[in-house]
Amino acid sequence: MSTDLGVWVAAICTLAMFTFLYKDNTVFRTFQHLYVGVAAGYGIVFQYKSIKNIAWDPLTKKGDMLMLVPIILGLLMFTRFIKGYSWISRWPIAFLIGLGAALSMKAIETDFVRQIQATLIPWNSIDNIVIIVGTVTALTYFYFTVKQNSLVKGASTVGRYVLMMTFGASFGNGVMGRISLLISRFQFLFTDWIYIIKK
Amino acid sequence: MDFLMKLGNTDRRILYIILALAVLMPLISPMGLPFRVSPWTEKFYGAVEKLQAGDIMLMSIDYSIGGAPDVHPQAEAIFKHAMRKNLKVVFVAFVTEGVEFGNQMIIAAEATGKKYGQDFVNLGFAPGVEVAISAFGQDIYKPFPKDVRGNVAQDLPIMKGLKTAADFKLITEYATGIPGPAEWIRQVQTRYKTPLACGVVTMMGPQTEAYYQSGQLVALLSGLRSAAEYEVAMKAPGSATAAMDAQSMGHIALVLFVVLGNIAYFGEKSKKGRR
Repeated sequence: MSTDLGVWVAAICTLAMFTFLYKDNTVFRTFQHLYVGVAAGYGIVFQYKSIKNIAWDPLTKKGDMLMLVPIILGLLMFTRFIKGYSWISRWPIAFLIGLGAALSMKAIETDFVRQIQATLIPWNSIDNIVIIVGTVTALTYFYFTVKQNSLVKGASTVGRYVLMMTFGASFGNGVMGRISLLISRFQFLFTDWIYIIKK
Repeated sequence: MDFLMKLGNTDRRILYIILALAVLMPLISPMGLPFRVSPWTEKFYGAVEKLQAGDIMLMSIDYSIGGAPDVHPQAEAIFKHAMRKNLKVVFVAFVTEGVEFGNQMIIAAEATGKKYGQDFVNLGFAPGVEVAISAFGQDIYKPFPKDVRGNVAQDLPIMKGLKTAADFKLITEYATGIPGPAEWIRQVQTRYKTPLACGVVTMMGPQTEAYYQSGQLVALLSGLRSAAEYEVAMKAPGSATAAMDAQSMGHIALVLFVVLGNIAYFGEKSKKGRR
């Protein structure tokens, strides 16, 4: 059994989280709050370091006055807590939304044009046929503004099955991911804490 | 039929115990179930393998603690491969937890005689997600003026000749959400044409496949299974390989639950129908 205090703390935290599997309880909730608190504290430390390195140091040590812009915009966010001035916080939010929208424009190329291009492939293999038929029929399922004749209905039904298979694959992947988490915790508990599994 | 009724009403805690045993037993006593290396993993392995000693690879560690068991083994395996090939590796993170995962890998490599600042560097965390990735692409030192050890990034030997994202021979991104492959493709791959390979949490696998099939990603790894395959491709089995028996048994248990649950459901339904 480990003599490392850190390992013991981690093991107790893990077991406390597992108690939820029996039923919701105070131990679980206490450690859940602890986890949220630690994560928030960790995040604040890193954010503080980043602001210091990226904005504050260049402003104070190199005299980079441009850094005043993000610092002031960031500070304006806090006006949200001042009664009567909370509307000012909309300026930095508007700036962020504008910036986000501008950056996302690239998605027209990466997620739209390139994905359409990826379906313009020869019908010379089963894989390619599945991709083309799957894409077209799945899109047909969401095509509501056309008369539902037998062709559209048939394609739409196939599209529904394609979507269901996709959701099934996602579910399967989800299950696989959750099992990985369980394995990781067991590996920690029985390898690093109690030496039952050999390294 | 009473049996079917009982089966359908099985306490979920019994299922948890069965699942826990199914996962735990193979970890204690490995069965050595076979699995093959998929062409996708071979592609990733090939992308790293074709780099020359001294080439600089980027590893963007953007996974959270919650998803780390799925993605961290991938990053570890690829970093080990890079070290074995004497590549130089630059770590960055656009989620806060990524910094510590990078540090863990670096500390392990330093124990083997590799040098910080020459063979690898951890530039730390930059806030701003997609905005930061975009800034990083244009000028590495804007979001990362210093590394995690307080050195001026530009002064480190490994950073010599590195200015933009185009200067890396290969960019690898490991993600459990946002930022992920989509952000890197939008802000870096499309602009600088640097080959981009991604390792993602299993849940993100199907949605990321589209980028791989369109050629926007040169390679893709998905989940712990891919990490195990990578370890096998490297001929260096590690923790991911050891977990594969447990994963297989866990899946078998879950499939059984689904099948038995359906038998109970349809059995009860037909019983009610007959009444």
